[in-house]
Amino acid sequence: MSKAIESKLLTEYYDDPHYMSFEGYTKRKGYEVLKKAFKMKPEEIVAEVKASGLRGRGGAGFPTGVKWGFLPKNDKKRFLLCNADEGEPGTFKDRMMMEKAPHQLIEGMIISAYAVNAHKSYIYIRGEYTDCLRIVKEAIDEAYAKGLLGKNILGSGFDHDMDVYSGAGAYICGEETGMISSLEGLKGQPKLKPPFPAIQGYLKFPTIVNNVETLAAVIPIIEKGADFYKSLGTEKSTGTKLFSVSGDVVQPGNYEVELGTPLMDLIELCGGLKPGRSLKAVIPGGSSAPVLTADECVDATMDYENLSAKGSMLGSGAVIVIDDSHSMVDLLTVIMHFYHHESCGQCTPCREGTGWLEKLVKGILKGSGRVEDLDLILRVANNMKGRTICALSDAAALPALSFVEKFRLEFEQHIRTQSPVRERETTSHA
Amino acid sequence: MLKCNINGVDLEVPEGTKLIEAFLKAEQKIAHYCWHPGLSVAGVCRLCMCEIEGNPRLQIACNTEVQEGMVASNQSEKVKETVRWGMDFHLINHPLDCPICDQAGECGLQEQYMEYGQYTPSMAHAKVKKRKVVSLGSKVVLDSERCILCSRCVRFTDEVTKTHELGIFNRGDKSEIGTFHDKPLENKYAVNTVDICPVGALTSKEFRFKQRVWYLKDEKTVCPGCSTGCSVKVYHNQEGLFRVKPEYDAEVNEHWMCDEGRGVFDWVNRQNRQSYSVNAENMEKPSSSELKLILTAQQTVEEYESLFEYLKSSNKKVEVYYWKNNPDKFDDFDNLLIRGDKNPNTKGLLETAVKHDITLNPFSGFDGFESFEGDIWFILPENKAVYPLYEQYVEKALKLENNLTIFAVPKVKVDKTKKNISILPLKTYFEKDGHFLNFNGLKRQLKPGPLQVSSALALNEWVSFVKSDDFGDQVDLLSKRKSEGFRKKNEMTQTGGGL
Repeated sequence: MSKAIESKLLTEYYDDPHYMSFEGYTKRKGYEVLKKAFKMKPEEIVAEVKASGLRGRGGAGFPTGVKWGFLPKNDKKRFLLCNADEGEPGTFKDRMMMEKAPHQLIEGMIISAYAVNAHKSYIYIRGEYTDCLRIVKEAIDEAYAKGLLGKNILGSGFDHDMDVYSGAGAYICGEETGMISSLEGLKGQPKLKPPFPAIQGYLKFPTIVNNVETLAAVIPIIEKGADFYKSLGTEKSTGTKLFSVSGDVVQPGNYEVELGTPLMDLIELCGGLKPGRSLKAVIPGGSSAPVLTADECVDATMDYENLSAKGSMLGSGAVIVIDDSHSMVDLLTVIMHFYHHESCGQCTPCREGTGWLEKLVKGILKGSGRVEDLDLILRVANNMKGRTICALSDAAALPALSFVEKFRLEFEQHIRTQSPVRERETTSHA
Repeated sequence: MLKCNINGVDLEVPEGTKLIEAFLKAEQKIAHYCWHPGLSVAGVCRLCMCEIEGNPRLQIACNTEVQEGMVASNQSEKVKETVRWGMDFHLINHPLDCPICDQAGECGLQEQYMEYGQYTPSMAHAKVKKRKVVSLGSKVVLDSERCILCSRCVRFTDEVTKTHELGIFNRGDKSEIGTFHDKPLENKYAVNTVDICPVGALTSKEFRFKQRVWYLKDEKTVCPGCSTGCSVKVYHNQEGLFRVKPEYDAEVNEHWMCDEGRGVFDWVNRQNRQSYSVNAENMEKPSSSELKLILTAQQTVEEYESLFEYLKSSNKKVEVYYWKNNPDKFDDFDNLLIRGDKNPNTKGLLETAVKHDITLNPFSGFDGFESFEGDIWFILPENKAVYPLYEQYVEKALKLENNLTIFAVPKVKVDKTKKNISILPLKTYFEKDGHFLNFNGLKRQLKPGPLQVSSALALNEWVSFVKSDDFGDQVDLLSKRKSEGFRKKNEMTQTGGGL
């Protein structure tokens, strides 16, 4: 049954190894949509994207067309930035998109830049993605050589320059204002909002920041129209989405399906669980998304509204499948270590709270935890949530809250059996 | 003007006002560390949380501009709980070493914990270890463990001095203040970072461990270090003066002062002072009808007034010499606060002289005084450090055969058998009433603090003595006067007194 549910709108030709080259891409109707876009007015493109209901694929799920609409209505300088600093643990879709179809991203970006009237764009690529950096750079050079970038693209009168920028491996630079700081040559730390980037962003110019997948998704919307795009997915989560499925499935990988696909079908698409194992939990949207228990997974569908109703989120589409062979205490320790390590240190609740959470969870894992620590974790996490400049604090607090709340018994059991005090008592009884 | 309501208090504020300023204007308490009125908004301590009507999320008051009709409050339990937790986050890795911390007594953490904290701490894990006693430069010491990373000092060097020495290095709870490439914090305003540091992370090498701050009183006065005339607070107790800090003055120095100005208390202390008069009886004798007077621009307008009035009313032939310290650098300005004119009252002197029709002849040493046989009055500058030729001129003066009267704040070593020289101790700016006019004519009032030297008088007081008939009796009385609250160092241990 499985393959049938795949809906390859963006990844249709990804199996073709030549698709990454300019020739291969144009053979598959590449840059045709750009020609169509140039025949439209920029505001028509914005309207089309708005009508399509496309939501940001980077994690926050903010409607793309609405974001574009925040730009000041004038001809003054503005920038388009592509966020390819894919750092959310569990996510690896942008990497595949850049490696397999760099021209798709470039085409999507030119259309988007034309729509928002930006004459310069940067692709901010995660520091670890050295291959992506090289591939995208080469693709940009090819595009320049073919007249698809630079002055008067395809005779449209629209000028656009594009460049890549490599991050240095900080998770926080995936946050849009953190990324802008980094791009400006500053320490990669998020900026206070307001002002929002669309008003005052890169070098204080109005700036639009979009995810790789979002920008690529503009192509099918312009090609086939908003109505077609809307016919896919659910009412509020339109179109298709790439899910990076990892963890305890037989065939982990990126899968493009319509939004609204049942989670269990998606797991089935990946070959299901490993033989003899049963489902324990799923993190549906990257490590910062609250975890779902096996029971909650049964009727979960992969769209913004269903997951949010379940108290979790679609996030970047990183589905981490956890079977019964894993300890939740162990997993939470890994997640807490990550956020402690990646907190930029600007805001006090996050700087101090992430470290505190790691110490608490690690203490439990190592056997020095107390049952009271579980309530303390909840209190600390609750007071980190929504208290800081960016969402990293929430990203650390949400998994801590959901793990401890939903798997409290397992944590308590771990504390009672692993506690050094217990061990001494057991020995004395024996 | 925008109308708003803060904790039930209606008020009007100008457009562009931040909500935190509105809170302070409405005299409502609001917790904060990183916000400083003289610096940009960082929004990182997350303590100035408040509720704004119509907004479901708590907002930080420092980054929220007041809108027309805005209703904000920080009285709800939700806000208080958030602030309590904000305090806890600040304190979980902060060392509990208040008894040996120099900031204790004027520490933002202590004060705000008592105001907004007072919870039972729940942190039971080992604290993060960081560097301690890091010398950032010749004037400032850093203790990273005490630092709450409010970034005020970094913003100060970025925005006020624009010297960019400081930065925050590493990330997360390993973040630390530091200098780039170990290039030290050496600018002329470095100690301001100590003032604005809300905790004991940055301390001044000059002041640390000299006094517990609760043993100090402060007096608001004017810095006599240069013609800018910053408003300052001088901290003192029975043992003398200990430090100077800037006082907000919108027209002159705003929140800041230079490091040089912080050192200008030392000459006020008793050990550096001329503390007794010498040959005061000379003043009574009928003296010559000719008088040459040398003065600097370091006295108050009131002193010049009374002096010039006396000179005009006496029947003597008077010549007044004006001693400028460094005429070549007189008009220097560093575009922030420091001016080349190292006298607090140049404008006051010049204006008073014009008013009394006194001609100020430039003074350049005692050459040409050889043939003069009349009296000489020599009013020494109190801040002698800024007069490079001070020692040379004083030495020359002491060799003169004329009837010489020296009015002095600093100690003058004189052979007492030389009967032609009398020395009268002067009060410093810290001890006298009066006012200075700064470089652009702004009047700044001095307030008399406790007298450090019992026999010292201000120049106008000496003049009134000279004018009166019973000069000798007055001087006798003066010698019996006690300095206010002067206490010997270590009195308690030396006299074996119990606590």
